[in-house]
Amino acid sequence: MSESDMAIIKPEMMKSYIWLETSDGSIQQVEQEVAMFCPFICHQVLQKGAGSSKNNAISLPQKVNPAMLSLIFDYCRFHQLPGRSNKERKVYDEKFMRMDTKRLCELTSAADSLQLKPLVDLTSRALARIIEGKTPEEIREIFHLPDDLTEEEKLEPLKNTMDDPRIRLLNRLYAKKRKELKEREKLKSIEVEEHVDERSVDDLLSFINGRDHKVVNTSKSKKKNKKRKEHKNGTCKVSNKDSHNLHSKQRSVDETSSSLGGVSNLHNIEDDIFSRKAEFEDGYIDDEIDPALKEMLDREVEDFARRLNSSWVLSVGQERQPVHFSINGNGDTRRLTGPAARHK
Amino acid sequence: MKTRIDDQSKPQTMIQEKYTKRYQNLKVAEALSNNHLYPFACNELSSIIDLGYSQLPKDLKAFIFRDCLSAFRLLPDMNTSAAVSAANLLVKSVESAFPKQKKNLAIVEFKQAKVALKRRTKGHDEHIDLPSLPQDILVHIFSFLDVYSLLSSSQVSRSWNQATSEGSLWRSLFDLHFSHKVSIHIHPGFDWREAFKNEYILYKSSKMLRSGRGYCSYCDSVVWHDNLRCPKKQCRLKSGKKPLDLMLTHQVVNYLLGTTSSSDESDSEDEAVRGLWAYPTLQ
Repeated sequence: MSESDMAIIKPEMMKSYIWLETSDGSIQQVEQEVAMFCPFICHQVLQKGAGSSKNNAISLPQKVNPAMLSLIFDYCRFHQLPGRSNKERKVYDEKFMRMDTKRLCELTSAADSLQLKPLVDLTSRALARIIEGKTPEEIREIFHLPDDLTEEEKLEPLKNTMDDPRIRLLNRLYAKKRKELKEREKLKSIEVEEHVDERSVDDLLSFINGRDHKVVNTSKSKKKNKKRKEHKNGTCKVSNKDSHNLHSKQRSVDETSSSLGGVSNLHNIEDDIFSRKAEFEDGYIDDEIDPALKEMLDREVEDFARRLNSSWVLSVGQERQPVHFSINGNGDTRRLTGPAARHK
Repeated sequence: MKTRIDDQSKPQTMIQEKYTKRYQNLKVAEALSNNHLYPFACNELSSIIDLGYSQLPKDLKAFIFRDCLSAFRLLPDMNTSAAVSAANLLVKSVESAFPKQKKNLAIVEFKQAKVALKRRTKGHDEHIDLPSLPQDILVHIFSFLDVYSLLSSSQVSRSWNQATSEGSLWRSLFDLHFSHKVSIHIHPGFDWREAFKNEYILYKSSKMLRSGRGYCSYCDSVVWHDNLRCPKKQCRLKSGKKPLDLMLTHQVVNYLLGTTSSSDESDSEDEAVRGLWAYPTLQ
């Protein structure tokens, strides 16, 4: 080999690499200056002397999968070069941040576990820009988050110390009921699914009191009494699925103490519903349901739903209104005062 | 409410240029392509049209028309309910004030936008599992949010709700909004969120924040504020912790038209303000 060849090859051979192992067990090596840009890897190398060989590979935190790792190293590779201007870096960063929300979240977690603060800042700002100006429902949709807050927690955004799972379950059911009623208003012409869902919620409420074995029977009996045609399979599935959810909950419900202090309003309403259910319990077992009882139950659940609905919707509506309604002349300001007056 | 344009003695072209320049400085068109500012920009356009379209010089009318069209064209990209309600308001203003031909063009554009919007929302039912973010990261993300977005986030889910209760978030918001107006006594266990809420109601912040506009004395212009700060970096450096002077929409319109109209609002807004911090009222 000539001198010039050696000169070309040598720098490559002299470059040192660091060995890393990701959560899925795969091992790779990365240029030292790139990897050392991450504080986590830096500490591992300096304090534990790890990463020098394949056997001694640094095991990376769980949240760092290979895809994210390669993204992170792209970032590091660009930024660790001191010769870059601020403008160049800024342009690169903006381009780098263009990815879907899922990857942004993954990247944020990964960067955080590698303690790469500048990247965490970048991704956090990008996520904040996504969240900005959106309603809770929209945010939930984008981030695929569950709607697991009680109505109270939503209305009064403070840390909720009352953690009774029974109350949470109840609220979830009430929320479900409200949603169904809303859908019913929208789909007035389509009659198939409504009563099925309603029945299953009522079943669940009585279920909480511990009368599980009657669920399947009662749902079937209610079906017979409906004037509308339904698909048998569909309804069975709905009620069975719900009863399965309840099976697991029932254990915890029975075991938790019955003290519901602190949520007085909810407590009263809960009691009301439960006592009424107990009264009409026998009515459910029979194959014929007295239409009058059915009417009463319907009204009662709707009433409660309306109460929940009005205060919840109003408060959320008020919150959004100040941002998006402006002074647009006589007609539109009246719109603002309308619901505001109702709220008081 | 009376509006007057008081420099009718000057030659026509000078007047036109002045208004056009002012309008361009307002940067309404730029705001329309920004996801967060779109509703504010639409509301401002609606106000301008409602409060004085007929008095505008011809050039400016053309600009307003152009921006209304682009507002409707951009609507499908925005994809939030806030954007949809803002666009609806804009259409109402257009319907009542624009001359026939322009009105029809604008409405056609709006209808096309609504169709496109419907088509977009139909495709979205993937049940992906997003990784859950750790609490300290959530807090870090929330530290970049304005107060409305933070409150929205608090209602999203249980983990997000816990993250929003972090005192440091509310402390920095309090500092941002009120520190130059209020001095407070801090003690251990001080509830910053409560303090913020009280001052917010006291200062009728919701009214002031509604426009999205502020006046920056450093660059001497009306700007779209970025969480109460001027979007220009130099101004932020100069102003330090001091927030912008917030402006109401009708003040912005007055600035544009050189008029001195007064606000049309009634005081039932206090009720709307309280709604932001509603207490459960299960009666």
